[in-house]
Amino acid sequence: MIENIEKDIIAIISEVSGYEPEEITPETDFFKDLEVDSIKAIEITVAIEKKFKISVRDEDVPKIATVKQAVDLISNLLENKKI
Amino acid sequence: MSGLVCGCYLAKAGLKVLMAEQHHKPGGYCTSFRRGRFTFDAAAHSFGGYAHGNLGKIFKDLGIDNKINIKQHDPSNVITSPDHTVSFWADIDKTIDVFQSVFPKDADNIKRFFNFLTEPDSMSFARIRSWTFKDLLDKYFTNDRIQAMLSFPLYGNGALPPSRMSAFIGARIFKEFLLDGGYHPAGGMQVLSDALAAIFKEAGGDLRLSTAVKKITTKNSEVSGVVLEKGGFVPSLYVISNSDARRTFLTLLGKNNVEQDLKDRMARMVPSLSTFIVYLGVDQAATTLPVSGVNYWYLSQYDLSTAYLSAKKGDFRDMGRYLVHVSPDRSTVIAFMNAPYGSKRYWETNRIVLSDRLIKAVEANTIPGLSKYIVYKETATPRTLQRYTLNHAGSAYGWESTPFQLADPDFRKPSFIRGLYLTGHWTTHGLGIPGVAYVGYDTARMVLRKKTHNCQKMLN
Repeated sequence: MIENIEKDIIAIISEVSGYEPEEITPETDFFKDLEVDSIKAIEITVAIEKKFKISVRDEDVPKIATVKQAVDLISNLLENKKI
Repeated sequence: MSGLVCGCYLAKAGLKVLMAEQHHKPGGYCTSFRRGRFTFDAAAHSFGGYAHGNLGKIFKDLGIDNKINIKQHDPSNVITSPDHTVSFWADIDKTIDVFQSVFPKDADNIKRFFNFLTEPDSMSFARIRSWTFKDLLDKYFTNDRIQAMLSFPLYGNGALPPSRMSAFIGARIFKEFLLDGGYHPAGGMQVLSDALAAIFKEAGGDLRLSTAVKKITTKNSEVSGVVLEKGGFVPSLYVISNSDARRTFLTLLGKNNVEQDLKDRMARMVPSLSTFIVYLGVDQAATTLPVSGVNYWYLSQYDLSTAYLSAKKGDFRDMGRYLVHVSPDRSTVIAFMNAPYGSKRYWETNRIVLSDRLIKAVEANTIPGLSKYIVYKETATPRTLQRYTLNHAGSAYGWESTPFQLADPDFRKPSFIRGLYLTGHWTTHGLGIPGVAYVGYDTARMVLRKKTHNCQKMLN
């Protein structure tokens, strides 16, 4: 499941940033390596919310800085949704 | 503006770029027109974000500074109500002093509010993405008057009251337009658009004016080119639309090529209000004109939510909410107020009456004796704006910049059609000249990354 989330996240980051999926690793820093700015950070969050049907808190938006962080956050939110 | 910036970057990077503009001059809302000895800026009449924002970097990259003379007018904006007058200066400390002297009880709150807006942490605005600008103001102020004085220019620059305006977009407009505003190119706004067009052509770009795009063609869910109304089919790997979003998707791409979900969302989304504009050529003997190049805002009462609803309904019983601007050469005066699209009949009936009433309001509150100096008068209704720019319903700022309509990925690069990008104020990513110029720059970066990758793939 986590692998699928990671694949979906990479696809979203690729669409929003313009970088190719193969250029994005779990540790790639969106802000430093992919030139993601504040409006793109929001765009990534909107895309994640739409894809996974979850709601991300505003204060967590800047914390989604790598694929790994995004996967962790989404996994937690999906887990909480089940409960 | 966004398309021009994007086209310049792409052409300068060596791509073969065609720019098709339906109007006979480039620039969209950033154009000017001549009537006898008068040159009027058609809609945009000053810009911000040049010294401290992204616009400075963009203009430097493209070499605009070598082609035109840009002057900052200081103060950039003056806001007057029946009780108070405040000014925005290039020196932010001076602006803070002004606000603190007018609202001494809120001195500390004013300082904290401006500190937030100028925080170096670029992610600070992202943390308020679901807030309205009113939520942000409420964090610092309980005084309705100071809230209205701080947000009235956003009501003019985004056509939304603080209770509907996204805090993210509002904070950006505030930072760019008010804290680093008042810039104007010598000769008028057309000079800026013409300079960008010249840079585009010098870089090898093909600019075709009076050339509307009729269709965006696709093959296997990928763009294949465009069909021009004059000139037939032009094949292309990428298509970047700076046109109205509905037009891009529903008319140019065609309803059958658009995902139902996006069509449903667009049907629910709200476009921003339009503007009613009065252009006045004035006698050189006019002695009561205020300082030129400055945006003078007047608000008669502090409830901007009611003002918004009245403008939306076309209820103009209170004319006391307007912006007036004297051109740097002091030969023209332009007055603006938010307005609904309205029927053809509505504007046939109200155009002259509203123009006269707006002039009277400006005369009563901002420029004494204005009427006797007028030697030329013309108006633009939302229908005029629509005719020249094809913006839906003459919308002045694309989709309303509410928190619910912010940063939607499908309005930048729709996932269901490869090679199609949108740029400009319909992207839900920014408005105003600095906002759309940045989107244009960023769109070019995205295309260039894709292009570089495809070239590398071919070489490998």
